[in-house]
Amino acid sequence: MGRAAYIRRRFVLMAFVLFGVSIVIFGMVRILPGDPAFLILGDRATDQKAAELREQLGLNRPILEQYWRFVSGFAHGDMGQSLLYRQPVGDLVLTRVPVTLALSAYAMGLAAIITLTFGILAAVNKGGWPDQLIRLGFLFALTTPNFWFGILLILLLGLTLHWFPVAGFGDTLAQHVWYLFLPALTLALQLSAVLIRNLRGQIILTMRSDYVRTAHAKGLSSSLVLLRHVLRNALLSTVTIFGLQFGFLVGGAIVIETVFALPGTGQLLIQSITARDYPVVQAITVISAILVIVVNLVVDLSYSFLDPRVTYE
Amino acid sequence: MFARKTGWPVLWVVIAALLLSACTQTPTGTGSSPTQSAQASPASKVLRMARNAEPFSPFVPWQIDDNPALFISVNVYDTLLRTTKDGTGVEPGLATKWTPSADGLTWVFTLRDGLKFSDGSAMTASDVKASLDMARGGEKSAWKDNYVAIKDITATDAKTVTITLKQPYAPLLSVLAMFSGGILPADMAKATDAKDYDNTLAWKTKGTGAYYSEGWKKGDPIILKRNPNYWKGTPAVDQVRIEYIPDDNTRVLKLQGGETDVADFVPFSQIAALNTQPSVKAQTFSIQQTAFVILNNSKPPLNDVKVRQALNYATDKAAIIKNVYFGQATPMNSPIPQGTYYDKSLPGYPYDLDKAKALMAQSSGAAGFKVDMQVRSGNTNFANTAVILKDAWAKIGVTVDIQTLDTAVVRTNYRAGDYMTTPAAWTNDMNDPTEIVNYAMRGGASPFAYWTRYNNPDLNDKITKADLEQDATKRQAAYSEIQKIYLDAAPLVFIAYLGASAGWRSNIDGFYIDGLSYYRFEDVKISK
Repeated sequence: MGRAAYIRRRFVLMAFVLFGVSIVIFGMVRILPGDPAFLILGDRATDQKAAELREQLGLNRPILEQYWRFVSGFAHGDMGQSLLYRQPVGDLVLTRVPVTLALSAYAMGLAAIITLTFGILAAVNKGGWPDQLIRLGFLFALTTPNFWFGILLILLLGLTLHWFPVAGFGDTLAQHVWYLFLPALTLALQLSAVLIRNLRGQIILTMRSDYVRTAHAKGLSSSLVLLRHVLRNALLSTVTIFGLQFGFLVGGAIVIETVFALPGTGQLLIQSITARDYPVVQAITVISAILVIVVNLVVDLSYSFLDPRVTYE
Repeated sequence: MFARKTGWPVLWVVIAALLLSACTQTPTGTGSSPTQSAQASPASKVLRMARNAEPFSPFVPWQIDDNPALFISVNVYDTLLRTTKDGTGVEPGLATKWTPSADGLTWVFTLRDGLKFSDGSAMTASDVKASLDMARGGEKSAWKDNYVAIKDITATDAKTVTITLKQPYAPLLSVLAMFSGGILPADMAKATDAKDYDNTLAWKTKGTGAYYSEGWKKGDPIILKRNPNYWKGTPAVDQVRIEYIPDDNTRVLKLQGGETDVADFVPFSQIAALNTQPSVKAQTFSIQQTAFVILNNSKPPLNDVKVRQALNYATDKAAIIKNVYFGQATPMNSPIPQGTYYDKSLPGYPYDLDKAKALMAQSSGAAGFKVDMQVRSGNTNFANTAVILKDAWAKIGVTVDIQTLDTAVVRTNYRAGDYMTTPAAWTNDMNDPTEIVNYAMRGGASPFAYWTRYNNPDLNDKITKADLEQDATKRQAAYSEIQKIYLDAAPLVFIAYLGASAGWRSNIDGFYIDGLSYYRFEDVKISK
């Protein structure tokens, strides 16, 4: 089976995964206690008014019908109406997905740079002070809650040094890139903490292998050996973790978006869960699931570029 | 050893790449600081505000049921009358003069000369009629209950509105000063009730207020532009830009960093520290807000008035005010907020452990008992209050089981009567006590005296009579009696009068939060 067939099969599998996700999220938001009608209308609402609203919003229809509307609507690109904001979910969510996506991609980009820099630096200095310092520093990043870490970065780089804005999203593309730096760095530092440990270990392991010794014996320069032979082999498992961590990144973005006041899906998700805005919660969850699946597919495909021996069966 | 040699060249490549990427990623970072980049140019004055929440109700005055929307509404849609700054009376708004008939059933309102909507079109009595008719009878109005006394509204001529009542109704003027009675052009007002009315239309506002909006999409900052036709004169600030910053710390940091001019809901704990900085000011404004604990009066032993009084006496208000509200609150002495007809002579329940123990000994709960306290997750003030109460009530043999639950769950539970105690807060929407008295004290029907299930038919009668009473002195006396009866019955544990906090850059003048917790941008000035 070639790569194309493999991708096709993955897409079929994706449909099954999404079906499962849709059932779980649909059931979960409805199991949560709390009536959206009263949350929308406020404490002063009468029972009659709440009943009218439920009727209007379709919340009193049979549960299977509600599920069918959700799934069939989604398949047709119609994500329904937000209960709270009374506007199409598509309008609410789709403008926010790029923000979360940009934040995640930005964070992954920064994480890749940080991981390569410090992973290699730690590995080549194994046991030396740069290695110890890097391991200690990133252990701190890993064990610190990211909302607190974000505030630390704001205090230092935003408020004291004025290098970056404290919070917000800006208005132009250039401003977006600038405003997103601190939140992306917050996420990236935590992500790198995991990756650096892995990469460092893999590099050290690979450097002991016979073909590396052979490469040196052939007279290749040290940097060429490291780049072409060591890194490429060592990266395989790091890339796997990198891909898996995308899910974690989307989760972390929820908190970070609130701290940095970014208009992404995470912030909307929190509001929507609190308000029991079922269609919005469902839409964001399903879209996030699609993103995670796609990123993992991309990661799986990247193996063959890193290691030509990998075939897709 | 060879590892060290191989490492460095690669490292330099990586570092160079890192620096390169850092440079390309921050094109604006080198040239301008955050303060300069915000769009305030000297020619146009922009006030930047960081707010803790985003509106969600349809932006139609009578359909609004959330604070962030109504705070904007008062800047956009004027009402016939206005609540005074201290929140205890009413003053002229769009109407300059009003005269009741001798029987109190007919009220004639005279409108200001030359009133215009923000688009320049004239505002007349028929716009007032159309808007108020929607507020009191519109399918989607959230505030119909406040207008039930009104029988009819007529536009007698372009400048005169006549309101006839079914029965005399003392709170009428206060009701007309509520945000829900904001005036829209007649055609726009009528369109809001259509089944498929689109909220994006509502954000293209046309009001007589100091500012107007050309549209807003959730997630974007809210932009308010000054109304050149405003009847009080053009406001000093050209544009207000309201950004949604949900995190308390972030809002304060943005204020300190000069990225915003005003921030609301500054944590009480940070007010003192902010005032030590020359560039920032922070303050708590007194508003008509109370903090208390709802007791389920239908569940033994909380159905025993002695138990409820004992809990009140055993509550250390000073400790809560100091530790939860950082001194930015005062103990409640009356069950209603400090608005019109609030009785300041009432004693409240001063902390008195001996009295509490004595009352407990005589009560049905003498042997001690256990209650749940349902706390809304995410509300640190309520959570900290609960912790202090757990400790305080333990001293009279009451074991508190703190349950942190999602807000939606707590609300569902107290509507259903499925709780024992839960901390809550109330803010008046109008200066007249009729709102809180009817909501929190009248029993027998939903909302069951603020869901306490307390029901005193004699008090219910007195509440009805107070609404009908026309004479201000007699009404004052009636409300004093109502406050006293309710205080003695102790359906709640009364804690504190709260304030609304805000912080602003020291070059901002005239920002204030009024007695009903609204803020108006019309008086705000930005100096150099």
